[in-house]
Amino acid sequence: MRASTIPFGWSPAWHRVRARTRGAPLVPLTIIGVVLAAALFADVLAPFDPEIGNLRHRHRPPAWVAGGDSSHLLGTDHLGRDILTRLLYGARISLIVGFTAAIVAGAIGTAVGIVSGYFGRWIDQVIMRVVDAWLALPAVSFAIFLAVLLGPSEKNIVIILAGVFWTRYARVIRGEVLSLKEREYVRLAIVAGCGKWTIMRRHILPNVINTSIVLSTLIVGVVIVAEAALSFLGVGVPPPKPAWGLMLADGKEGMMAGYWWVTLFPGLAIMLVVLAANLLGDWLRVKLDPQLRQL
Amino acid sequence: MTRFIAKRCLYALVSLFILSVTIFVLIRVTGDPVTLLAAPDAKEADLQAIRVQLGLDRTWPVQYLHFIVGALQGDFGTSLYYRVPAGTLYLQRLPASLQLAAAAMAVSLLIGISIGILAAVNVGRWWDSAGKLIALLGLSMPSFWLGLLLINFFAVYLGWLPTSGRGTAAHMAMPAIALSGYFTAAHMRLTRSSMLDVLGSEYVKLARLKGLPESWVLVKHAFKNALIPVVTFAGINLVLMINVAVVVETVFAWPGIGRLLFEGIEFRDFPVVQTVVLLGGVMVIVANLLVDILYAWIDPRIRL
Amino acid sequence: MRLNRRPLLTALTVVLALTLTAPAPRPEAAPAGTVTYAVHITIAPAWFDPADNPGQITPFLIQYALHDAMIKPMPQGMTTPSLAESWSASKDGRVYEFVLRKNVVFHNGDPMTAEDVKFSFERYRGAAAKLLKEKVEAVTIVDPHRVRFHLKQPWPDFMGFYGSPATGAGWIVPKKYVEKVGEDGFKKAPIGAGPFKFVGMTPGVEIVLEAHEKYWRKTPKVKRIVMKSVPEGSTRLAMVKRGEAQIAYKTDGPLGEEVKKDPNLQLVYSGGIATWWLQFGEMNDPKSPWHNPKVRLAASYALDRKALSEAETLGASPPTGSIIPREFEWALPVDPLPYDPKKAKQLLAEAGYPNGFDAGTITPIPPYNSFAEAVGGYLGAVGIKVKLQKMERAVMFDKRRKRELAGICLCANGGFGNAVTRIDADIVSTGVHSILKDAEIDKLFEDQSRETDPKKRQALLKQIQQLVVDRAYFAPIYQLQWPNAVSKTMKVSGMGLIPTFYYTGPFEDIELR
Repeated sequence: MRASTIPFGWSPAWHRVRARTRGAPLVPLTIIGVVLAAALFADVLAPFDPEIGNLRHRHRPPAWVAGGDSSHLLGTDHLGRDILTRLLYGARISLIVGFTAAIVAGAIGTAVGIVSGYFGRWIDQVIMRVVDAWLALPAVSFAIFLAVLLGPSEKNIVIILAGVFWTRYARVIRGEVLSLKEREYVRLAIVAGCGKWTIMRRHILPNVINTSIVLSTLIVGVVIVAEAALSFLGVGVPPPKPAWGLMLADGKEGMMAGYWWVTLFPGLAIMLVVLAANLLGDWLRVKLDPQLRQL
Repeated sequence: MTRFIAKRCLYALVSLFILSVTIFVLIRVTGDPVTLLAAPDAKEADLQAIRVQLGLDRTWPVQYLHFIVGALQGDFGTSLYYRVPAGTLYLQRLPASLQLAAAAMAVSLLIGISIGILAAVNVGRWWDSAGKLIALLGLSMPSFWLGLLLINFFAVYLGWLPTSGRGTAAHMAMPAIALSGYFTAAHMRLTRSSMLDVLGSEYVKLARLKGLPESWVLVKHAFKNALIPVVTFAGINLVLMINVAVVVETVFAWPGIGRLLFEGIEFRDFPVVQTVVLLGGVMVIVANLLVDILYAWIDPRIRL
Repeated sequence: MRLNRRPLLTALTVVLALTLTAPAPRPEAAPAGTVTYAVHITIAPAWFDPADNPGQITPFLIQYALHDAMIKPMPQGMTTPSLAESWSASKDGRVYEFVLRKNVVFHNGDPMTAEDVKFSFERYRGAAAKLLKEKVEAVTIVDPHRVRFHLKQPWPDFMGFYGSPATGAGWIVPKKYVEKVGEDGFKKAPIGAGPFKFVGMTPGVEIVLEAHEKYWRKTPKVKRIVMKSVPEGSTRLAMVKRGEAQIAYKTDGPLGEEVKKDPNLQLVYSGGIATWWLQFGEMNDPKSPWHNPKVRLAASYALDRKALSEAETLGASPPTGSIIPREFEWALPVDPLPYDPKKAKQLLAEAGYPNGFDAGTITPIPPYNSFAEAVGGYLGAVGIKVKLQKMERAVMFDKRRKRELAGICLCANGGFGNAVTRIDADIVSTGVHSILKDAEIDKLFEDQSRETDPKKRQALLKQIQQLVVDRAYFAPIYQLQWPNAVSKTMKVSGMGLIPTFYYTGPFEDIELR
């Protein structure tokens, strides 16, 4: 940046931040911002109760369609609950479940990947055997068993989803660590006598964290869609919570009867969040390390 | 080399052991099939009689041993719900799952790779955006929603395709598309980025400098090299596909093993669940084993 | 030589006489056409054998086609003699004699005899088998078409168990065939006396049946029946819309609404044997609000049964005030309470809960979650706050048996039988699912089981049921009926013909246009 463009008083550090964030993707950030706002302010914004409906107002269409009224802007579902309200409250669930599951899966998977990749030899083999067995177990059956053992609840769904997806991280991170081990500065650190854990913490982790973050943005989208699939099978977030995936699954029969709004709006919501997460991931990938293309 | 193969086989067996014990315990811990098999108001004595008849009153290690010994001889027990050998059930339904996965994989590779290449070649322009949009649709639409929309449109509204079941190629079209959604998107993105990598490589730059026609560059070099990571990825995805097919199988009444497993869990049909998971696991682990051996054969460094 | 005309004339007369007096040949046309079903559950081979009947109605989905019974529910009545032409009981109530029909032939051509009846009874091992074997001393064959059951003591409920779908002991299988092919062979290729014979099956996918032209009652009108397992309701509806199936079971909620709108389809209701009610798990705990009958009554007044029936089953399910279906023998018909949330609030105030209370969870029998949500809504409207607790099937059944269900249970009982079997399961303190501890009811039940005079017995049973209503032990909701989709190309679908029966029947009457 030329000196003449530096506003009076701004420090060089700030310039570095600005340079880094130039070209920040507005679209995904806006979408995420809106969803976040919905999640935070649902209590204030929502006109109705998300879990209790009036049976006599079942399947009212959106306000702009014949038969709809302005009190239910986006219509009602099969139990007479307001769709807009449920979308707003559902943002909370989708964000919490999606992000938490991705972060937990990322944390576990990255940790396991680092340990496995760094130590190598028999530790690596044992961990990879467990990962293999885990991957061979059909995710759906695993999800159902956990749902039965732990009982369906939001917390448990996060556990289930994290339990299914951590292996994705483990494999990828392990691969990266294997190649990182051969790098100059890591070898130097070993020669210098740094402890194993110190090396992992100071040299390996910061270098793989970018991969984890980028992978997480992809996984968030997958997790949100997976929640819908689990709800369809009956083992997702328990009713009457307004999780978007559950709204979609509940409304599937309404589709046949022409009640398109019960599925379209939660479906669009899911699509927008997945879009945002993926665009963000793309941008981050380019920004942080162009080598991450294999993700 | 032999040592390598032997070691890998041993590892495979260990994985299988862990898998079999895990599923064995999981299904027993989560419930009693006898309550589901008998009448809702059956007396406890009746239930106990059924347990004895099915061999469920023995201790778990005994049951496990019995199962493994039988499995090694090809006898996987008899389904509690269907009363036919679990192994037979599995083999009967497996071809349907493989067929669906193969079709879905073909669709995802065909569409994914073509659009991925188009996007990479036209990076930043219209085809690239279109490709990204298609990828988004595939990634963000749950397969059951896509499946039901397809049925509504192509089968009910237009009447072109049959709604469900397994039969002709027409029966397979919609389930394959519904299942392939996510994977088409994934393959498209990978092809695109892989292609971009290759197009920016030294070899291609050199070829262009030499003045070789673009089409030659694309076909002769870029294409082949870009596809290597995609194909590897696709191999792993095939297994994933079979695992997540249960949703599509439910919507389209497709008689695959995903649905068999799901219903087996619902009815606590121990032999069926154990068999499907174990045999499925065998397939996955053996596939991994073969891939590992193949790689090691190609690249001796990996044997270490 | 002239022909002697006399023998010729005699011959002609004889022939003419014979032709004119011979029984007219069956004017029924040969069976034609194929009817395809879209079934909501997976058909299990275990259902081909009545010997394993679990006491639920589901096996009869297929058994009404493959097999026939001595006595079974038909459109004419719940105890219509079928394979048995008539039956009688001895004066002391210890011997039951059945006269068998003479023109019954199994699918493989073997005629049915008393041997088969005795064999079918003795091999029966399903629901209530132990009970039957305990009470029946011997089965004797009087002649090839006459069987006698000798009971150890008089047991007025014998016909309730043998002559109804409560057990499969009265559903007759061919002795010679079963002995020849063995148990497993029988499940792979069952033979029965029903209107349709087994042609083939793909486990979990579909089953194919063909008309049994020598069926005693009449030749079936349809030639082939294919039953396909389609777990997803929307897909079942799509199949009938497109003509891939002519009958689709269980198209409730919005699917049923769509059937109503479609000019090519008709909505037909079936069933009714399953009663649904609210059960209050904590009612025996003096500290719990549910201990007070006024609170339980309030919960009952809070429900809009009509609206619930509308939402869940398009109005098909008739609301009821008793947990025993009114069609059952010895049932006391009880009218449902009206929807009166004001009265509910008033009762709660009288009981000391003017602002309602937190009732914990409501657990439905899976997968009736939206039903429970709707019920929860009504309870919440009068101040009884409940949260839906969704449980997996196996887990819920287990907990119910062990009486470990806290809060409210949205429970049901769909078993065959009569008022006695239902009271036995859900009302007396020893009942498998019962949480009641009413000594008076227990005593009355014991008395009736020993009572031989049917009038006195009826009085006792009615008294028990009235006590249940008076003490507000449950909040009964409705008798579940399903809406099903039937294509208009069906002239007779068989749906809803047999009272309280969820599936199509009689199969021999099913007809295409």
